[in-house]
Amino acid sequence: MTTLTQTRPRASRAGSARLDPFRATPFTKAMLALAIFLSIFPIYWMIIIATRSNEDAHSVPPPFLPGGNLGENIQAVFDAENAHFMTGIINSIIIASTVTVGIVVISTLAGFAFASLNFRGRNLLLLSVVLTMMVPLQQMGIVPLYQMMVTLGWTNTLKAVILPFLVNGFGVFLMTQYTRQAVPRELVEAARVDGANTIRIWWNVAVPAVRPGMAVLAIQTFMLIWNEFLWPLIILTPDNPTVQVALRALNDRYSTNYVLIFAGTTISIIPLLLVFVLFGRQIIGGLMEGAVKE
Amino acid sequence: MSLDVDAGHRTRMLPSNQRRHARPPGPRRLLSWLDLRAAPYFFVSPYFVLFAIFGIFPLIFTLWVSLHDWQLAGDKTFIGMENYTELLADDKFWNSVVNTVGIFMIATVPQLLLALLLANALNKKLRGRLVLRLSVLAPLITSVVAVAVVFTQLYGRDYGLVNWLLSLFGVDAIHWQNEKWTSWVAIATMVDWRWTGYNAIIYLAAMQTIPKDLYEAAAIDGASPRRQFWGITVPLLKPTIIFTVIVSTIGGFTLFAEPVMFGAGLMTGGTTGQFQTVAMFIVKEGFRDFQYGYAAAAAWILFLLILISALINFALVRGLGRSR
Amino acid sequence: MMNNTRRGRLLAAVAVGALALSAAACGSDEPAPAAGASGAASAPAEKVEITLQTFGGGENFAYDDAVAAWNASHPNIQVKYVNLTDRFEDTYLPQVLQWLEAGSGAGDVIAMDEGAMGLMSARPQYFADLSQYGLDSRKADFPEYKWNTGVNKDGKLYALGTDIGGMAMCYRTDLFKQAGLPTSRDEVSALWPDWNAYLETGKKFKAALPKVGFVDGANTVYNSVLAQEAGKNGGQVYFDQNQTLIVDKNPGVKAAFDYVQTLSTAGLTAKLRSWTEEWNTAMQKGGFATMGCPSWMLGVISGTSGDANKGNWDVAAVPGASGNWGGSWLMVPSQSKHPKEAAEVLNYLTGKDGQVAAFKEGGNFPSSLPAQQDPAVADAKNAYFNDAPSGPIFAASVAQLSPVFFGEKHAQVKAAVEEVLVGADQGSVKWADAWTRFVEEGVKAAG
Repeated sequence: MTTLTQTRPRASRAGSARLDPFRATPFTKAMLALAIFLSIFPIYWMIIIATRSNEDAHSVPPPFLPGGNLGENIQAVFDAENAHFMTGIINSIIIASTVTVGIVVISTLAGFAFASLNFRGRNLLLLSVVLTMMVPLQQMGIVPLYQMMVTLGWTNTLKAVILPFLVNGFGVFLMTQYTRQAVPRELVEAARVDGANTIRIWWNVAVPAVRPGMAVLAIQTFMLIWNEFLWPLIILTPDNPTVQVALRALNDRYSTNYVLIFAGTTISIIPLLLVFVLFGRQIIGGLMEGAVKE
Repeated sequence: MSLDVDAGHRTRMLPSNQRRHARPPGPRRLLSWLDLRAAPYFFVSPYFVLFAIFGIFPLIFTLWVSLHDWQLAGDKTFIGMENYTELLADDKFWNSVVNTVGIFMIATVPQLLLALLLANALNKKLRGRLVLRLSVLAPLITSVVAVAVVFTQLYGRDYGLVNWLLSLFGVDAIHWQNEKWTSWVAIATMVDWRWTGYNAIIYLAAMQTIPKDLYEAAAIDGASPRRQFWGITVPLLKPTIIFTVIVSTIGGFTLFAEPVMFGAGLMTGGTTGQFQTVAMFIVKEGFRDFQYGYAAAAAWILFLLILISALINFALVRGLGRSR
Repeated sequence: MMNNTRRGRLLAAVAVGALALSAAACGSDEPAPAAGASGAASAPAEKVEITLQTFGGGENFAYDDAVAAWNASHPNIQVKYVNLTDRFEDTYLPQVLQWLEAGSGAGDVIAMDEGAMGLMSARPQYFADLSQYGLDSRKADFPEYKWNTGVNKDGKLYALGTDIGGMAMCYRTDLFKQAGLPTSRDEVSALWPDWNAYLETGKKFKAALPKVGFVDGANTVYNSVLAQEAGKNGGQVYFDQNQTLIVDKNPGVKAAFDYVQTLSTAGLTAKLRSWTEEWNTAMQKGGFATMGCPSWMLGVISGTSGDANKGNWDVAAVPGASGNWGGSWLMVPSQSKHPKEAAEVLNYLTGKDGQVAAFKEGGNFPSSLPAQQDPAVADAKNAYFNDAPSGPIFAASVAQLSPVFFGEKHAQVKAAVEEVLVGADQGSVKWADAWTRFVEEGVKAAG
């Protein structure tokens, strides 16, 4: 909200509102309202179902207002045999945070090098990053990676989940493109002329400028890893799951009990909602910072 | 030295040639030469080291497997390129390619256009921007599994909400899984619901690096908001648009979870493979029929297909700004 | 084809002989070998943990009580019971194969569904030879086909049977009442002595309640008919004993196909695919009136339809002769570090006590003949299904089972051809092209 106060005087300085290119028209507002309704509604509905009884969930048309069964449904999720929901949440928090920090650091470093530094083989290496993104590793990596983890004796450990997730060409590519846009070459050259070494340039020049990109990458990585399913299912045992594996176990065992599944899903997004509420300002704030840049 | 204090990003304000004479001599020059030459490799090495361990090995393994009649937990016989020749003559494989490309087109084109418009709208002056932006990003917090469960119910033939709504207008119940077009549309809406807001935020982040005075100058020159959008915003967003197009291409070509959930968890993608994607084909061959060698060959062909289409898209989008 | 019939007849003769033998064995009350192989004498000096992996939703396998009883009396062999997932084909089987290939990850005792037994039988190197641990003495406890399926192509005993499907017909009393049909299970059974009579009943039902399906869809009816027809054709389904694909030549397959076509074109199906959300919902809301019911399907129905429908479902006899659909086996992977103790656990779970406990807990009908004789099974009633005498119904159904043979690619061919049937029922495949396509898909899936 600080930004609103910062931008408002600018608008008045620009003179008549009609000239202001950042004025929101009624059409824009209507479109946004619709987009937000569509974005929120399925999530809202999921939470509604989680608060109802199973009979309500099957009525046509379905209910649109909350009921009173949320506490009991959540209790049922944590009590559910074979699901190990609490362990799943803790494991997922550890895995998603570690991978997020790792990917953001790795990608910001590499992105800066690709976007702002000259070195032999740069284009070839960047191309290879893009190429690696195109490999359907999700489908084909599973068997060889599993065998690797067996050889290393790492099955059913969190590091076996974390390490392969750190390979993320997408992050490198995103940060390369973002750095290209946010850090002008001249700036890097200027700092170098001033005697700064590369690490210092990265830390003092690039990182502050690409923070919005890092924020987007961080939130996206956290959510994707949080929702990742296939690899943890294979490498971890069912009594030591991630939250998605636990959710799947719940879905398997009580597949017709929508209320229970939706309650499980609702619980599974609570940590993400917390990330949103606690860090939302920073995440989106990173974007806002760009807004006041002259 | 002003650089030694924590000057942050304000260093960029320093005039560039003021201190040229202060460059350190002798051995420090060697160090700085090393810094210039070696540092870039140091910066990219974490990624490539990890990739070498957890990426190259599976890739080479898969290539090796694709040259075999390799049964999962069964016999393995070297057969050279036979899997590839068989695959290229397999109409089921080509059917899955057509489905993948079709779903990709009807999902991605509207998605990226909508995301651009949405980002442009979010870039306006509005009350409660933070809430607006977070709301648009909200679908990302739900898992694919949850999305699929909700949407599959929405699209249910007998008890689904969409058919119920349509029935209010006298439309007969549609069996969404039964026809190519209906199933493609249903799957595309799932994909778009999840990713449009995210792409909008990426565009928004890039839009905010565009200097405001460009727009103000254009506005003073009398350019309409629409002309500003197509004349300033879109061309300047080109690197980001290229990025999202390539990422969407990859995502589209490896589309898997949504169609699987839509088809009751089966890899067949409908009774006649109406919505079987290539990724589903691979999993069906490798992990349902246990023809791991055949699946590995299909994965390599998929890789080539992604490469080709990413190049085509790249070329198309690059032309975008030129037509200005 | 001459060969096939002769072989079939021969097998049938063997089966009859074996049944007589096993019946005799049952007469002699307690099956000695079962107790002899395990027991306290062979207790290991150190404490070992045996991991037992199963699959299945709801109460499937139902080993909680059986495992608790074992653990209480065997302090040195503790069983850890893990039900991995309810999805056999998409999750359990691929994962187990991967574990077998990697040489690590599989439990000490694992469960396997009948559809994958052909596949397992062709991979003898991955499983321990159970006769090394004295379990070959258990032969008399099992029906011929259940035993033979656990012997792989090298003649090695690698699996013992758990439950068996049998076959009955479940129906909705509330819908039958609305349609003006009788509702008591004896009268309903009398409505359909054969599949033709079943079809005629369906037409009457449709005339009264045109919007409700008489059967759920293609899958269950097809499998019910096929289970019976397979018995008539020497126990062959999609493959003969030489692993040659016979999907186009087996008259039983064609008969089952034709019957589904007749039902579907008469508009008697609700056009639902089994194991989908829509199918589940229809079960809850009374979207269809009858469904082919192996013993394990009772648990599926009660679990899915919920308390609100208690008493709405009942169990009648299946049209035609008896047949079998489903059932599982247990085996010890050779990667197990404690194969001897694992075999003891396997012996217990497939023995009388283990199978009776599983029946009491989850209703899985025992394949063990002594367990079938146990009053807890033989006189059992199912409260959810109006106290239907499920014990006697399924006992009668499995008493005359013929042996069935599963080819290595049985599961894949089954999945592929049923896809065509569902497509034809739902309208994405024309019935005119369906049989050709059915055969084509079968051939492709067999590789």
